[in-house]
Amino acid sequence: MIGKFLRKAYKSVPPYSEESSKEDIKQKEQDIGKKLQKNTQTFQSIYSYPDNQDVKIRELHIGGLNKKATVIFISTITDTNIIEQHIIRPLIENSAESKSIKDIVSVQTVATESQIKKILSKINSGNAALLIDGEEQAQIFNVSSFEGRGVEKSQNESLVKGPKEAFNEMVFTNISLIRKKIKNENLVVESTTASVRSKNEVYMVYVKDLANDKLVDNVRNRIKSLNTDVLQNLGLLEQRIEERPRSVFPTILYTERPDRAASFAEDGYIVLLMDNSPDALILPATFWSFYHSSEDHYLRFLYGNFTRMLRIAAMFITLFSSAIYISIVTFHAEMIPPDLLLAIAASREKVPFPAAIEIIIMEIAFELIREAGLRVPSPIGPTIGIVGALILGQAAVQANIVSPIVVIVVALGGLSSFAIADISMNFAIRLCRFLLVLSAAFFGIYGMAALFTIGLFYLVSIKSFGVPYLSPLSPKYISSGDTVFRRLLRNEFYRPGYLKPKDMKKQ
Amino acid sequence: MGQSQEKIGIKEYLAIMILMVGTKLTDDTPAILFDNLRNAGWMGPLINGFIALILTYLLMRVVLSYENKNLIEVITHLFGKYLGYVVLFILWIISFGALTVDTAIYTDIIGTMYFTNTPTIVSYGVLMMVCAYGAKRGLEQIGSVAWAVFPYLQFILFVILVLTLTQGEYAFLTPILGPGGWEVVKESSFRLSIYFDILYLFLLVPFVKSKKDFKKGTWIAFIVIVVQLTITMIGYLVLFDYVSVEQLNYPFHELIRFIQIGIFGRVESFFFPFWLIASFVRFAAYLYLSAMLFGWLFKIEEFEYVIPTFATLIVLVGLIPESPTFAIFQLREAILKFSTPVFFMLPILLWMMAKLKGDLKHADNTNKK
Repeated sequence: MIGKFLRKAYKSVPPYSEESSKEDIKQKEQDIGKKLQKNTQTFQSIYSYPDNQDVKIRELHIGGLNKKATVIFISTITDTNIIEQHIIRPLIENSAESKSIKDIVSVQTVATESQIKKILSKINSGNAALLIDGEEQAQIFNVSSFEGRGVEKSQNESLVKGPKEAFNEMVFTNISLIRKKIKNENLVVESTTASVRSKNEVYMVYVKDLANDKLVDNVRNRIKSLNTDVLQNLGLLEQRIEERPRSVFPTILYTERPDRAASFAEDGYIVLLMDNSPDALILPATFWSFYHSSEDHYLRFLYGNFTRMLRIAAMFITLFSSAIYISIVTFHAEMIPPDLLLAIAASREKVPFPAAIEIIIMEIAFELIREAGLRVPSPIGPTIGIVGALILGQAAVQANIVSPIVVIVVALGGLSSFAIADISMNFAIRLCRFLLVLSAAFFGIYGMAALFTIGLFYLVSIKSFGVPYLSPLSPKYISSGDTVFRRLLRNEFYRPGYLKPKDMKKQ
Repeated sequence: MGQSQEKIGIKEYLAIMILMVGTKLTDDTPAILFDNLRNAGWMGPLINGFIALILTYLLMRVVLSYENKNLIEVITHLFGKYLGYVVLFILWIISFGALTVDTAIYTDIIGTMYFTNTPTIVSYGVLMMVCAYGAKRGLEQIGSVAWAVFPYLQFILFVILVLTLTQGEYAFLTPILGPGGWEVVKESSFRLSIYFDILYLFLLVPFVKSKKDFKKGTWIAFIVIVVQLTITMIGYLVLFDYVSVEQLNYPFHELIRFIQIGIFGRVESFFFPFWLIASFVRFAAYLYLSAMLFGWLFKIEEFEYVIPTFATLIVLVGLIPESPTFAIFQLREAILKFSTPVFFMLPILLWMMAKLKGDLKHADNTNKK
């Protein structure tokens, strides 16, 4: 009963009266009228003109047609030069009496809209609207020009052999980067509005004659059914459309490399792009797509598989190094050859903590250095490295807080974790590592095996958009067999069968 | 049954079967065989295997001649509603008893060989928790995990066998026939039920992708199991000799303590996790099958929900015998002796009933068409 009461008290929210925006909404649903003056006033009040600094409303007189008109645009997201040279000047200087507006202005695309709401959304996304006296339709010119950076080298998924360019924050650049790789009319770029208030667009990129229709529908519906005010970028979208938001393992792949996105699209996957996101989401994703990197295929067969081998080794070292140390020292000391055992015992002699505490101290220190190193402003970055290495490593050993071998074990695990390039999988493995450390502290190798088995059962039961997480390993599907190792390129015959692509054969 | 499931492929089925039956070579089954067969113990699995082969063939012939029916439905169809219920109830009792005794043995192995200070209830609890978690995920997941770990487990077993067979003394094999030819045949056929689990696998017929996969999978797995059991038994014999192997309750674990790899004198903790994973998968599958049978007997559609309760019950029952190393050894032998006639009679009876009803002929005709 007390619990119920507490929950009630905790959950109750102080009343808050929202302001009604019914009037505004009603106004925006209407069409524009014939009177220019009234229309201009409407837009002025909606945009709080002239308080709103970058909204420009330019009144002018169209020569020849002899009509009054108003151009409305937002100067910070449009190319004002084009507006001046190709819209305003031709309109003023026009002398022909019967030319249509389309023929006077010289911009790339011209459209017409009559509903206020739609005109507003066009202006908000970088168009200019031309309202003409006596006409019930506004002319919309596409003159958008958003600020952003150019195409740069990829930062987080760097590689030695292969293309270096990365996505940037402008979605049309990103689409162009993908189109550059897939020169095919079947590549579809579909846009869906995902948020109510900010009207953020999500672009679905897929190859029409490969991607499974059900999958495409499923993804489209999931994006459309989001009922959120704002959805700024893909990182937020990912959390909204994934099936298990609380799961340790990621189910949607996140990449900043257009070549990777393109090759996934060519296998029948779906790529999601958004403005403000220097990356792409790829779905469905399996465990293997997080483990692979694009360089595995750019390198020759043997070299590529060698890096794969190193990566899987790194993964296991990250997961198990600390846990194995704890369980061997605490429970299975007989396993180590006597000489080594004596060495370990001698180094642990002065340390007052049990092995598990020692490891956990060091692990937390390592994670702290890592996190701090990421956030630290770049001028003092190197200092942190030195402080981290010196004080936490050397001094901790000298102060008998940890034994030297623990530093080696933790550093090895930490270092290996960097070989897992994907940031989500990296986090997943690091979190699992702590769980394994705990289970090893309680039950030694028994606990580790138990947790590992539970983990396996969990992994095989995860699905990403209907695709089992460990496929094509199990359950078995026709595919190129690209799991732990890859095959020769000429032996990779099939697209992944778990996607049910429309065309199975690749070559 | 109530739930719509995706079917498992031949690989997953094969892995489940080999892990379910094959893992027996690591508990006290070898000790039971060596007890009476002495140094001909390794022939036990072979002779049993031959009889079990005939029985499996009969079962396969009967069960697969029906479209999409598993063992439960075939038994009720052939024996009628009431008798069939009784037979299935006996089967469930055996499966639950065997599961309890087996898990108790595995807990005892963990307790006596590796974690001598850990309270039994804790290690038992962890074991059953993992198995219940796995079983509750469903058959498809059990199959996937089984197949994912299967190649590594087989590789490890291979390594162990190579190390054992190179360090052994082959003179221990003689006299080949041990206590005498007839004795060997008689004693080993009393312990036919080491293959009893195959019977339960016929519950899975509708869940395997096709009948052909089931047939092929069963035979491949059967051969692998028999070969593995036989070779491992030879391994025990050549390493320990029959006198000491009779004394050992858990020869596999003594064996991995005994062998050496280079500078590493004690490698059992290296092999231990692999054995654990195999056992987890084995009992997860077992638990699932037992719950499935229970679900049918008591008309529980969503039988997955009884699995955690089952697991708890098993821990409580399994903890009852004191000094488990001896008590459970006796219990297990009793179960083996009790289930042997069931395993021997059931397929033959089923086959005879099917023959009398004329279902087999009918199936042949439809197959030919």
